[in-house]
Amino acid sequence: MTDIICPLCGKPNPEELDECQYCQAPLKVAGFIASPEDQEDFSQIFPPSPDQAGEEDQDTQPESPPPSEQSIPDWLKQTEASFLKPSEPEPEELSSEQLSEQIDALINLPSTPAEPQKSAIDDEWLTSLLSEAGAIESIPEGEVLLERAVETGEETSTPAGEETTQEEEEPPAVPAERPAWLTNLEASSNIKLDGGMQPSEVPEPEEQEASVEETGVPGASEHVEIPDWISKVSFEEVPPEPKEPEPPIEPAEIPGWLEALRPSEEATPTAPVEDVSAADVVTAGPLVGLRGVISAHPSAIQARKPPTYSIKLRVTEEQRARVQMMEELLAEEQKPKPPTSKRIITSQNIFRLAIALVLILPIVWMIIAKSQQSPLPQPANYPGVIDFFQQVQQLPAGAPVLVAFDYEPGFSGEMNSAVSTLLSQLMAKNTYLTLVTTAPSGVALAESLVKDAGTGLAGSLSSYPYYTDLGYLPGGTMGLLGLASSPKTVLPYSLEGIDVWASAPLNTVSSVTDFGAVIVITNDPDTARAWIEQVGPVLRAEDGPILMVTSSQAEPLIRPYYEASPSQVQGMVAGLAGGQAYSRAVGRQPQNGVWDAFSMGVTVSILIILIGGIISMVFMLQASARKRED
Amino acid sequence: MKRILPITNAVIAVVSGLIVLFGYFFPGLLSGIQSVLIGWAIIIAAFALLVGVFNLVMVHWKKTGTEGSNSIYSIVLLISLFITIIVAGLSGPTGSWTLWIFNNFQVPVEVSLLAVLAIVLLYAGARLLSRKPKWYTILFLITVLLVLVGSAPLFLAGESAPLSALRSWLSQVPAIAGARGLLLGVALGTVATGIRILIGIDRPYGG
Repeated sequence: MTDIICPLCGKPNPEELDECQYCQAPLKVAGFIASPEDQEDFSQIFPPSPDQAGEEDQDTQPESPPPSEQSIPDWLKQTEASFLKPSEPEPEELSSEQLSEQIDALINLPSTPAEPQKSAIDDEWLTSLLSEAGAIESIPEGEVLLERAVETGEETSTPAGEETTQEEEEPPAVPAERPAWLTNLEASSNIKLDGGMQPSEVPEPEEQEASVEETGVPGASEHVEIPDWISKVSFEEVPPEPKEPEPPIEPAEIPGWLEALRPSEEATPTAPVEDVSAADVVTAGPLVGLRGVISAHPSAIQARKPPTYSIKLRVTEEQRARVQMMEELLAEEQKPKPPTSKRIITSQNIFRLAIALVLILPIVWMIIAKSQQSPLPQPANYPGVIDFFQQVQQLPAGAPVLVAFDYEPGFSGEMNSAVSTLLSQLMAKNTYLTLVTTAPSGVALAESLVKDAGTGLAGSLSSYPYYTDLGYLPGGTMGLLGLASSPKTVLPYSLEGIDVWASAPLNTVSSVTDFGAVIVITNDPDTARAWIEQVGPVLRAEDGPILMVTSSQAEPLIRPYYEASPSQVQGMVAGLAGGQAYSRAVGRQPQNGVWDAFSMGVTVSILIILIGGIISMVFMLQASARKRED
Repeated sequence: MKRILPITNAVIAVVSGLIVLFGYFFPGLLSGIQSVLIGWAIIIAAFALLVGVFNLVMVHWKKTGTEGSNSIYSIVLLISLFITIIVAGLSGPTGSWTLWIFNNFQVPVEVSLLAVLAIVLLYAGARLLSRKPKWYTILFLITVLLVLVGSAPLFLAGESAPLSALRSWLSQVPAIAGARGLLLGVALGTVATGIRILIGIDRPYGG
């Protein structure tokens, strides 16, 4: 009976089977037919099962192997089997007794003297093949012997003592690397190592040595296919015996005929060439006539008119109703809402009205009644008033005086008292008034006040004739600088268009220093400062003074110029109180009740603030007490 | 041309500024050209006033057609402006009709504005403590009361010398200290701005 040894699991199978009855591996492709000797060996290792034994009894007729198999030498079969052996066959689960028996059988295998003869026969067969190929002559005898020794595992005739010495001297054996050309040849051959030994799975030399030591016969592995799991189990369970040192395996020399089969390394693989024979030929554009390229003709990239789609939406009735509702909502949002009517009579409005009445009514009453109950302020109590009066009083008669009306008409109630007194005093001194202003409304203000002051003079029925109005001086500080340096250049004509600089008394005036005094009437501290800074440096103390008539809000800022040493302002009158004090100094006692109205207004204002503050505090405390109670 | 004009403007501005500035230090040497430059500046400023008036007319002329019900204010302004110009042109800037308009319209309007301001400030002072008062609120209110008391003699109570002295100290020391600090800051800023313009870093005239 001829069985087929499964290359995967190593078990014998009947010849008629195409697949292994144990592992279902294909047998006809990768397996081989075992010889009767092998079957005996397998029967020792793998005792047949009862079913299998029965089948074997039925097939007792010896069958000769097919001619093709007969021509294959045994060593080549063994080599094929070792190559086709699975790398990790799944071992069957055996009992410990069976394992021990198998291990004993492997260790105590009887020596087969026929093996060296077989290898010799194989060598002869190979020698005959090589002789036929004409390459035997090129193989040295030593190499042939070495190959035999490697194939059979037979030890060389070297003495043991020499082996030990050689092992001690030589470094430990390094597993021989497979040459690249052999790897490539193996890769290009039709026999694949599927299920066989991969290059990365080359057994270690130690394992090979261990297997040789275990069997005691170097060529035992040629005849018996031992699964890896058996070798592992035996290697693990049996304690390693003190092995004798073996000579290292010398690297085999490649025979010449095999070297001749080595592929040329110089022949480098070329890049694959694409076959464009079936590609289209470009018929237009700059690449015309070329095959297998993309045409660069504009028609290839010509944009086409996009297809038109209907923009009409399919809207359902429900969606249309919702859209209409949304549009109505948006339309209502855009409509201006009528303003909510605010209540006119509120507590705040009543409070404001009450404050206005409380403040206005007494003031009006004082003015109507021309009350004189409050004493006029003393000039000595207001700094600058006496100096102001004295500076004006010291002006020579007929001297030109520059008077600047730089205050807003809104401050007339505060300023006019002092200005009227000033103009009266100047007119009494018969000075020549030269009016100028840096405010657009100052021209009319000055003209109005001068006329009022002139008609108010005792015994005079006409306006004061000795004055000229130069009008508006533009340019701010620049205009003031020009006026200080050259008034004739900056303001050559009066408002009537007369060249006042050509006639007396201004024909003697070439600069601001030629005026008897410069009197600035302003409610703005910045304007007063501009006059002091631009005109003051031109004026010297002996030339003429700078006098200031200011409002109460500008007084704190102008007062340091007056109190400086040397003073930059030689006299000042500030506010209504200063005007009243100056009037008192001049000797004019105004009987219009303005001072009593001012005193009443200040008193009422203080009372309103005090009472309002107390009431606010009470309400606030009550509110905070309520919050605490809550 | 676009590069030359800005440089020319800068040169003119810097040179003019330096001449006027050094005119303060060397009045005898540069006073002539300084006066000329100042005269030009005054003329330009006067012309700027006319340009402002023209711009005011144009703005309110446009508002008369676009502002709807609010255009009545623009109409009133334009009518008042043209009437004043006509009256002042006919009777002169110091004519009787011009002074009548001034004394009966401009002065009362401006005075009444200040009177309304006084009422509003008084109302705010009375309600100053109605909300959660802070310490500086109370301090502000006390200062206001002291200044008011020291500004004028109380009716039927006369003038209090200590209160007047206190009012004088408040207005001359704390108030002036703060005001002077502000003025010094403004002055430094003005000097810095003037220097930047003189050396051509800032060019408010363009370029």
